[in-house]
Amino acid sequence: MPYRAGERRRKLAAAVLGRDPGPAPRSREETEPFDVVSGDLLDVSPHLIILETADGEQRRLVIAPWATAWRGGTVAPADLPAGARVVVRALRGGTVAERIWADITRITGVIQEVSGRRDLTVELDCGPHRRERSIVVPYRSSGRIRVRHPKLEPGYLFDAIGLLDQGTSFAHLPATSQPPYRATAVPPPTVTYGGSEAGISGTAVWADLTDLRDLTDLAEEGITEGVAYPMLEREDTGCGDAGVSCAGLPYLALGSLLRVRNVCDGRADALPIVACGCLAGRFCDRCLECGTSPRGRIVELAACSYVALGGDLTKGCFNARVGLG
Amino acid sequence: MLSIIAAAALPILVVTLALGGVAKLATVGREASPGALARLGPAVLMPERFARPATIACALVEFALAADLLVVGHPVARWLPVAFFAMATYVLWDLRRRRPDAGCGCFGDVSDTPVGLRSIGRAAALTAMAALVAAAGVMGLPHVTAETAPWIGGGVALLLACSPEIDGVVSRLRHRAPCEQRPMPPGRALSRLRTSGEWRAHAGSLLADEPSDMWRELCWRFFVFPAQGDAEVVFAVHLGGRRPAVRAVVVGADGQVAAPDDRGDAYLRESTPVSA
Repeated sequence: MPYRAGERRRKLAAAVLGRDPGPAPRSREETEPFDVVSGDLLDVSPHLIILETADGEQRRLVIAPWATAWRGGTVAPADLPAGARVVVRALRGGTVAERIWADITRITGVIQEVSGRRDLTVELDCGPHRRERSIVVPYRSSGRIRVRHPKLEPGYLFDAIGLLDQGTSFAHLPATSQPPYRATAVPPPTVTYGGSEAGISGTAVWADLTDLRDLTDLAEEGITEGVAYPMLEREDTGCGDAGVSCAGLPYLALGSLLRVRNVCDGRADALPIVACGCLAGRFCDRCLECGTSPRGRIVELAACSYVALGGDLTKGCFNARVGLG
Repeated sequence: MLSIIAAAALPILVVTLALGGVAKLATVGREASPGALARLGPAVLMPERFARPATIACALVEFALAADLLVVGHPVARWLPVAFFAMATYVLWDLRRRRPDAGCGCFGDVSDTPVGLRSIGRAAALTAMAALVAAAGVMGLPHVTAETAPWIGGGVALLLACSPEIDGVVSRLRHRAPCEQRPMPPGRALSRLRTSGEWRAHAGSLLADEPSDMWRELCWRFFVFPAQGDAEVVFAVHLGGRRPAVRAVVVGADGQVAAPDDRGDAYLRESTPVSA
């Protein structure tokens, strides 16, 4: 519902304010996003990969000689198992696969309970949409997870990149350094009195927006494009955790069109806000990809949108600049 | 002489204690952002789940002390405020050492600047005043006389000079946060809309009293009402300023504008480029 309503909202807002409903044209320093193909892997050989996309279409892509694949670690593309959920960054109109990520998942949430001695089982509260989730930190990656998450205790935030294997999420890489505060004690943004800037810089992260459970209209297809944004009015969205951010963001609504630009390589795209980024607003971290970003997460991108803008799913964030429309 | 100063200090103490209590209770009641309490005052020194009860308890103690100063004449009761302010001074000193980022929370979330020498100085000054009041044995409703008035003025000036909150209040008065970052409940925008001319112009054609959809984008809040003939009336209310601009347009079922409202167009052309 919010996604479909989004387009209608844009039209109505444009009508009443007398502005153009479409996104603004790309400026000269901005470049086209990558083509991204995602779906279930049907078959793979060293040179060809066949996928079935969410709408049932079969896509055949040639695997570039320099292509790499990730499934819990770097693997050869031909070793990917059939049935894996893959995201492919493609060239030449979506016909040549360049990077492949299989069964990758983003585990972001507030720690509820930690149990286990060797392999740790962590219960996470992933916000009002993704609700609770139980994940496993395998012993072999618990060292590097714990180095970046020194407080594996209830109430603190957790953010890792993992592998979805037979319905279980295994955390493999820490996606950020854990914030030292509890999830309920987000530092307030530094107040800027007076003039506002033309755009907001900060960290763009990715999230599994495909498993949002309360967006019933989209349950079958999942959200493959779009962003989750933290600064939404609670009354409009029914999202009691929205409206918290440490980056000093302006209020927007579900359906607003955001222009997200990857500061590192200039790729930009206009993406609709499709969900509330209840958890993104609670992280006050910086992204260290090609320079240090200002503090605070400004958007959570769907995995496909993130890859299209040049992000690497195993790296968890890129420096972004965001403006409206 | 001492009794005059003590008589001047008494109203200052009572007002400060009452103000502190009210501000703390207001902060607890409002709790603007989750966990805000856990960053204020002595509450940061205790586990988070006790932050709320601790703030309420502190506010109640302040009310009790204010009442104590006014009505109780027992010598032990006179020295309780001295003990309270002395302890507050020590706690602030300790807070500054242990949590240099936390505000003192003396007046709820208004006191969110990190504890500095000014806050500690203020607590020490209040301790001294309380000690004077206790030593002189002043009680009852304060009387402002020609003798005490300059001392009251001096005391208030001293406390204001020691109040870091004043800086925040002044900068808030001089500059406001941009309207796109200010929270604004939809009810207020709706009541603004209902007093506008645009509302009166379209009210006859509306089928429902409550909007079928509403959302906020930057400084504008939009309301959509179903209207006759399968159309929709869209209102846009600007959230800044005393007399906010209100725009209205009727959109047909096909998404085409049926009756554009061309009032205020020039204003809009200036304000449409958005700043996010």
